[in-house]
Amino acid sequence: MKRAVLLSLLGSAVLAGFSIAALPFSRGLFRAPRTPYDTGDASFAAPAWILLVRAEPLVPRNAYVLVRSEPVDLNLDTYLHRFAVALLPGRQIVPAARWGVASEPKDLEIAEYEVVVGRAPTIPPGRLLLEAPEGTVWRRER
Amino acid sequence: MRGGYLWIASFLLYPIVGAPLLKHSAFRVFRFPTRVVLSGGVGMVLVSWTMTLFALLGLRWGPLVVLVSAAFAFALRLVPGREDNEANETPSPRAAAGEREGSPLAGKNAPAATEGRILAKRAAGGQGEGRFDRATTLVAYALLFLSLLAALAATMAARSTSPDLLLFWGPKAQQFAAARTIDVSFLKAPYLEYVHVYYPPLVTNVFALGAMIAGRFPWGAATLTFPLFLAATAIGIAGLLRTEVDVAPAAAGSSLATSALALAGIHASVAGNAEPFLVFFEILAVALLLSPAAATIGGRLLAGLLLAGAATAKVEGLPFVLAAAVLFVLADRGRSRPVARTLLLLLGPAAVALGSWFAFGKINALFRGYRGYGDVLAVRWDQLSEIATAIGGALWKTGYALPWLVPLAVWVLAGRKKRRVFFPMGVAAALLGFLVFTYLTTESDPRLLIGWSAARTLSPVSALLALAAFASRTSEPGRSAPSRG
Repeated sequence: MKRAVLLSLLGSAVLAGFSIAALPFSRGLFRAPRTPYDTGDASFAAPAWILLVRAEPLVPRNAYVLVRSEPVDLNLDTYLHRFAVALLPGRQIVPAARWGVASEPKDLEIAEYEVVVGRAPTIPPGRLLLEAPEGTVWRRER
Repeated sequence: MRGGYLWIASFLLYPIVGAPLLKHSAFRVFRFPTRVVLSGGVGMVLVSWTMTLFALLGLRWGPLVVLVSAAFAFALRLVPGREDNEANETPSPRAAAGEREGSPLAGKNAPAATEGRILAKRAAGGQGEGRFDRATTLVAYALLFLSLLAALAATMAARSTSPDLLLFWGPKAQQFAAARTIDVSFLKAPYLEYVHVYYPPLVTNVFALGAMIAGRFPWGAATLTFPLFLAATAIGIAGLLRTEVDVAPAAAGSSLATSALALAGIHASVAGNAEPFLVFFEILAVALLLSPAAATIGGRLLAGLLLAGAATAKVEGLPFVLAAAVLFVLADRGRSRPVARTLLLLLGPAAVALGSWFAFGKINALFRGYRGYGDVLAVRWDQLSEIATAIGGALWKTGYALPWLVPLAVWVLAGRKKRRVFFPMGVAAALLGFLVFTYLTTESDPRLLIGWSAARTLSPVSALLALAAFASRTSEPGRSAPSRG
């Protein structure tokens, strides 16, 4: 029993040591993160998170919103649709792409607002509501 | 920020709901922290089941959910019955003698054989053994605390957040909280097929109840369920192992399991998803079934309720539950008799909880059972080596596979193996087999699925190996009721 206990302690020490080594010391362990995804494997979600949280008070409930990337990345657009469903509750989220396949342009026409993650679009889609390092938010004009 | 604190505080509700059952004298064998943790598990299962039942009946969620759940906990007090009461209230003469001598296994009907062994060991070990025990206990708890602290730090630094929190666990809970029910229109909405409508309801229900109390769904606070449930699992394992052995081996066993789960969880990004819930229910159920408490009706009912939690936390909880129940009966025929009653106690709660969920899915035309990633009859055996390599690669990326290799090494080196290790090792093998079968029947490239799921879904195996290492160095379970742990 004594040997087994000591082996368990040795194993625990090794595992605890590797857990500590896995902490993001160089990426601001002691700084409050801006989003829950700042330093993990899904850090690509962080800019979209920041922009969508800032867009939330600007987009009224039940409004149709298109969230897309610039330059266009269909895989990212697939995720942006899902992120928007989470972070813009109560809005109708129009997917720019699903499962990596672009939506039909006519399906996007219904959108009243547009959240663009990345650089600002070359042709403004409407009235600019917010400009941030992570992207822009627009009110579409018809 | 205030919403986040309220949301986390909502988890205090569950031990209160489960308390009526755990206050039963059948469970006095467990010390207070262990009973709080086990009450929490029972409370979560009952609250989640009541929420599903309300949704099934078209009733909106409100304070009544909590009252009805607590009423179910009161009703379940009838199950342990007189047999368990008598077992726990009439100490054996040897147990009483042990109590006078300060044995950790004394009182409350301690298994005489186990107790005698401990007393003999103490007499042989003398003062030096006491010092060794104290020192190893201190080191074990220090290492356990360090692992918990690492999990908390990784979560707070946004190192281990699961993408699934943002993709479906969070959005569903947020919407259900707003709708005060399991929102069928949301689950049927176009373009939302990725939210996995058929996934069992416990995690979204628990998240939603917290959001109703907090007034919003706090995304950051939801990630804290990883360190919270890891701590609860650690307390539960230590308390359950303590019913059988001295404090030092129990602390060492809990430390090994918790450290393995912490390292796996940090690397596999489980903060905010269902794995911490699943591991909590699965590992505590197995630890309970390994303990002398499994000899009582109350102990088996409690294990059944924890298994119901596992079955309603994640899809892979169901094969785990079936494997655990069947292997418990096969591995411990003496304590399983009558087998039908044991299976009813172990599987009944899961059948009721999952049955309600499948009924909800069928009535609302949402789903008819679980869906695989392909045709379950089309097994691609030719991909087996490729899948094995991909799983190995995924585990290697998770702290060089140490969460699995270290407990395995402890198990191998721990000395002579007892027959009872068949139970945790068998459950681990069954879970591994189920996951490999899932990958073998995946229509798309299984390497992608393995890359983002293997380390997470195999994390319970690391703790099962730690429990097997513990089980290999303790005696065969006694036939009588447990000591206080």
